Amino acid sequence: MGVTGVSEILRIENLHVSVDETPIIKGLTLTINRGEIHVIMGRNGAGKSTLASVLMGHPAYEITEGTIHYLSQPLEELTVFERARAGMFLSFQYPVVIPGVQVGTFLKKSVQSVRDEPIKGRAFRKELNEAMNTLDMNKSVLSRYVNDGFSGGEKKRLEILQMLMLNPKLALLDETDSGLDIDALRIVAKGINQVAPEAGCLIITHYQRLLDHVKPTYVHVMIDGQILLTGGPELALELEEKGYDWIDAAPEA
Amino acid sequence: MKYSKMELPSRADHLWRYTPWKRIHPSTVETVPDAVPFRWSINEGGSLSDGMPRVMTDGDIARVFLSELGQTGVSLSVDGTTPVVHVHAVASGHVSVGHLHIECNNDVTVIVHLSGEAEWAGLHVTGTAQSNVRASIGFINELSANSKLLRCEDWTVQRDATLEMASLSIGGFRCKNDIRTRLIAAGGSLTQAISIHGRDQRHVDHHIEIHHDVGHTNSDLHIHAACNDESHSISTGLLTIAESANQSDAGQVFKNLLLSERSRAEAIPELEVLADEVSANHGAASSPVNPEQMHYLMSRGIGEEEATALIIEGFMQDGFTKLHSKALVDEMRTRLTVHLECELMR
Repeated sequence: MGVTGVSEILRIENLHVSVDETPIIKGLTLTINRGEIHVIMGRNGAGKSTLASVLMGHPAYEITEGTIHYLSQPLEELTVFERARAGMFLSFQYPVVIPGVQVGTFLKKSVQSVRDEPIKGRAFRKELNEAMNTLDMNKSVLSRYVNDGFSGGEKKRLEILQMLMLNPKLALLDETDSGLDIDALRIVAKGINQVAPEAGCLIITHYQRLLDHVKPTYVHVMIDGQILLTGGPELALELEEKGYDWIDAAPEA
Repeated sequence: MKYSKMELPSRADHLWRYTPWKRIHPSTVETVPDAVPFRWSINEGGSLSDGMPRVMTDGDIARVFLSELGQTGVSLSVDGTTPVVHVHAVASGHVSVGHLHIECNNDVTVIVHLSGEAEWAGLHVTGTAQSNVRASIGFINELSANSKLLRCEDWTVQRDATLEMASLSIGGFRCKNDIRTRLIAAGGSLTQAISIHGRDQRHVDHHIEIHHDVGHTNSDLHIHAACNDESHSISTGLLTIAESANQSDAGQVFKNLLLSERSRAEAIPELEVLADEVSANHGAASSPVNPEQMHYLMSRGIGEEEATALIIEGFMQDGFTKLHSKALVDEMRTRLTVHLECELMR
């Protein structure tokens, strides 16, 4: 993978991350260019979600070594909301409930913040309608409170709706496909494919089935805080069939 | 009983532990000062008439005091021509007082707005939700930031009536609220939601009594207090279920959001259940702003200050979501949003 050039979105070099002094990520290097879809697979506890959280600036995670550059700028210089305003988006594995805050209000504030300009009501509604139609979402969701009482599938759809509205340069999707039925999976994939051509995408998943609908550029296998293997879409099929043990054993072999 | 003959309550009394009577009294505690009556007005959809039914004071010092401060009041009649009736009470002068009676004979939504610059305001509201009526009553305290408030309310809920009460406390410096509701006939239902915003050194005390005098009655109380700066919120609830009130269902939830190290919030639910076959539950929780909620909002580009404001607004709105009257919820929500937007610009 190239590490320079105008299309580079994200460059991670020798990243080490700890939580409460426990090392989770132990020397991870990865570059994502515009238009590329990277998929990270791996067992539970491998550090996949930690990577997504640290990229979005979650305060619980400490970078102990290594560098991250986003659009050629050191990422550590940006606060969480500055990262979002600079075009980073994280679809959360477990979207947070915000009681009393209506989805419509939240979306408008979010879009206004990221675009840094007032949005006219009619233009916003038109854009929102289009995005909701793409995701086959009912308009009644706009008056509900953010993720409050939502099913797993509804939460994930709302994450993708936010992604479409915010039109990110880097989309991080942390197990967005988990818990979705086949129809919902197809709809979520549609959203990802809409954003992907103009952005860099990092998809964290346990399942190959999402990749029936989203074609990855690279598939990485993360084990014990490191990327141990990188391949094309065929690697996901191989993992589905063989699991991860053969990769653990490979260096010794 | 005359106020002058009454024994002043001590702090050992549960009702006066957190806001002693002498601290809410407008002047020298033994006296009943002269008071200026509230200026009442109504937008449309009803009328206010002078005079009101005799107020039962029940031997309570605050109610006796309010009745001696002002001998007359107003009664509200609703004609049903508008979905929401707004009643405005303006308190002015050193000591100001008002009595309001609301007799709900038909489905009504009434919002009472209390505002003004009075140093001290006293309000006594009485009302009845008559049989088979759905009454939605909102109260918004938007008094001057320097005002003291003593507010008493007494409600009865008749057979198969539904009373929904929403209260938004955003004004006044020291406020004592004592709201009592009796469910006196089967099928009566009460949903009560109170949202409080504390800032500076605001002291807000809510004492809520709900009495299930008969069986097959329901009540649901939600108090949400968001406290900033050095503000202090106290919420005490007294829920009684009489011995014969089987098949009653009652719940109380008190939530406090602490926004600064020096803010304080007390939540003290109290249950007296004498019947056997009832459902009664209560819960109380105090916590600071959830960092995961902050992270989620900020990950969507929303700045820290605005994210905090959004969480506060959501927290305060959340109490109102238990109400079924959309008109009432919308009115409270709109007023709260305006208040918090003004706060952001402070």
